[in-house]
Amino acid sequence: MTQLDNIIHQPVRLKIMSSLVSLDQNEQVNFTYLRKLLKLTDGNLGAHLIKLEEAGYIKSKKTFIARKPRTFIRATGKGRDAFEGHVAALKEIIHSEK
Amino acid sequence: MNVSHENAQESLSTIQDVTVRTHRAIASAYASDLLILWGALWTIEFTTAHFYPAYAFHIFMVMSIVGCIGTAVIYWVFYSKALIREAGSQSAIWRIALFWILLYAYAALWHFLLAPFNGLQGNAFISTVAMFAFVVIGLWFGCRFMIILGLAVTIAVLIGFYLLTAYYCLWMALMGGGAILGTGLYTRLRWR
Repeated sequence: MTQLDNIIHQPVRLKIMSSLVSLDQNEQVNFTYLRKLLKLTDGNLGAHLIKLEEAGYIKSKKTFIARKPRTFIRATGKGRDAFEGHVAALKEIIHSEK
Repeated sequence: MNVSHENAQESLSTIQDVTVRTHRAIASAYASDLLILWGALWTIEFTTAHFYPAYAFHIFMVMSIVGCIGTAVIYWVFYSKALIREAGSQSAIWRIALFWILLYAYAALWHFLLAPFNGLQGNAFISTVAMFAFVVIGLWFGCRFMIILGLAVTIAVLIGFYLLTAYYCLWMALMGGGAILGTGLYTRLRWR
């Protein structure tokens, strides 16, 4: 039986991972873009990203574009696997109670 | 960790919702401004061509140049905003640009080989070539609304060509330019 993931299950982190995992593996998103898409504040998003990065589920990279600093975030392979496992566990719960 | 059936269902709905929103936001970021630009240009071009048919070709050329410059500006702005970045995204943009250039080079060649065309035939030809590109790009990037838009406008071209010949340009201003503009506005306002 697959296990639920405590880190991913938190509602904001679930949204962050859903968005990142829905992108192609070599795609990364701008911090600002993710904040707008998920309707979060800078601080809230930043705090949850740190948690996910500490778990090795995401990777962030700071860079400059047109001389402006940008932070790009992407899901790692470990993060994608953990997310897949979490989704499978959620589906198992639903099917087991039918 | 204990999760109820309802909570699990809610989590899966959230995942589904965010996935759809992410895909739509990306599609809108890439396409909406370009659709608004080209939809507006088509509308102006066809409306003007209806009232001043003698200048139709000149209008077409001017609008095409304005469109190409506008497209380059939009891509430059899009890149500087850098909402989404993909390894090799620059090469993808160049490949799309090259695809359009080659397509229009081939269209010009076919136009030359198959000539003489009258104005109506020439216009229907170039409009369907553009819509063919929409469908191909839609398939390329898995963007369903681009495929639907391309096919819908192609059908509009055929209806205008065969059934509404006298009002072809006005019909295309509404159903061609209008549809592209409307799709661009919809995706920009609702999906971004």
